[in-house]
Amino acid sequence: MNCESVTKLIPFYFYGELPPEEEDGLEQHLDACAACARQAESQRALSAALDRREIQPSAALLAECRHDLMRAVYRHEAPALRPAQPAAHWGRLGAWLPSLGAWRMPLGASALLALGFVTARLTAPGAAGPLNLATITPDVISSVRSVQPAHDGSQPGEVQIVLDETRRRVVSGQLNDSNIQRLMLAAAHDENNPGVRWQSVDLLKSHSDSSPVRELLLNRIAEDPNPGVRLKALDGLKTFTGDPEVRKVLAQVLVHDDNAGVRIAAVDALTAHADDDMVGFLQGVVQKEDNTYVRRRCVKALQDMNASVGTF
Amino acid sequence: MAQDAAGAVGARLSPKLDEANLIRAVQRGDQDAFEQLVRAYDQSVLRLAVNLLRSQEDARDVFQEAFLRVFRSIDSFRFDCSFHTWLYRIVTNICLDYLRKRKVRKEEPAVVDTPEGPLDRMNDFEEEAAHADPERNLWNVQLGQRIEGALDGLTPRERMVFELRHYQGLRLRNIGEMLGTSEEAAKNCLFRATQKMRVVLGDFQ
Repeated sequence: MNCESVTKLIPFYFYGELPPEEEDGLEQHLDACAACARQAESQRALSAALDRREIQPSAALLAECRHDLMRAVYRHEAPALRPAQPAAHWGRLGAWLPSLGAWRMPLGASALLALGFVTARLTAPGAAGPLNLATITPDVISSVRSVQPAHDGSQPGEVQIVLDETRRRVVSGQLNDSNIQRLMLAAAHDENNPGVRWQSVDLLKSHSDSSPVRELLLNRIAEDPNPGVRLKALDGLKTFTGDPEVRKVLAQVLVHDDNAGVRIAAVDALTAHADDDMVGFLQGVVQKEDNTYVRRRCVKALQDMNASVGTF
Repeated sequence: MAQDAAGAVGARLSPKLDEANLIRAVQRGDQDAFEQLVRAYDQSVLRLAVNLLRSQEDARDVFQEAFLRVFRSIDSFRFDCSFHTWLYRIVTNICLDYLRKRKVRKEEPAVVDTPEGPLDRMNDFEEEAAHADPERNLWNVQLGQRIEGALDGLTPRERMVFELRHYQGLRLRNIGEMLGTSEEAAKNCLFRATQKMRVVLGDFQ
């Protein structure tokens, strides 16, 4: 082993990346060669200087990163519910929102069916105000109710098929049109189709200054069985987190909702406004909450209010 | 020197769920499992990002982007390499993008000039207690600046290999695997990086 090859091997020797036989050879050379030994010392000094530069991220920074990440996971993954998203998203959301499984594929059709059903109800005699409906295609959606042999007297081999038919209509209009809004409000309650509810809430939340919409959003936060819909409704109320009625519902959600993502969104919304009346409530949440992020958020809110975290 | 990241990570995983089961649970959509998986690795990921980018803001962005990518693409993880390697491929790719953009923009040095004098933006981080000796302090400051200069002189790839080997304690073979290259190429990067730094630091050693 000569000086040139030792020079090249010193960094790897230092980092323990040499095979044992090469390491032995290098050590023998260093014992005998002062110039190479100085190089090895130089490498060691470099390493020591670099060690002093190392930063250990603070616990607070790590906690903030974790908090931001889980918020993003819980909150920002929800838009993948949109049926227009690629099919790959359905696998994850099907798992995350187990109740969605049944409506994965026929979502578009069933959404239209639901709207058609609501339209029929709202345009029935006695319904308030006629809708300005744009019927584009009178598609008929059929389903087979029964299949049976034809009645006596018919030709041999004849069968009778009973079809249920639904007329498909496309309704379009502005969201601030009261009739359209009524349709959307009804669709947001369609208990058979969380996709339609989610879409309706998503569209309506931009009109949360309207009282019926705000009531709907509060209702969906508290009642909707689907966490994606609840999150979307909660998102729609973020500008009303100072409203006592909204805060009351958010507090209920924070205590009772079984989905950590929804509770995270609720605690963020609640703690966006400092409110001394919440101290006891937040202390209680800290004691009982399982989710680290929710607890941490409550603790921070309490600290910001100069309140003690624990109860005595 | 930093401990072997993979070893340290393994120790943090709950004995109740080994890593493969945890990953499968995440693939089934279990968000609690995801959180547990994140916690097994997030300290080392953040440490890498902070040390590499010397910016809390960028480190936070890298942290979030990396783990969100993991969350979104965990279905594609097929256990044909360790999860640690897979995760670090994602993290190092994102960090390399940041370093490359910085090379183009030449922005965000750790020490910035302010009307009140030079301000080290990394002061928010936990630091060793300051030396009482002012002369020693000055020497440390100058050495720190020289080191930053030396590291800035490395290519993003050299910087990455050096960071992973020196601070994260990863083997060159693993580093090559993470960066999609050979052990030999990682070795060459490390050699060039140490040589460049030794030249720049020169009389400070």
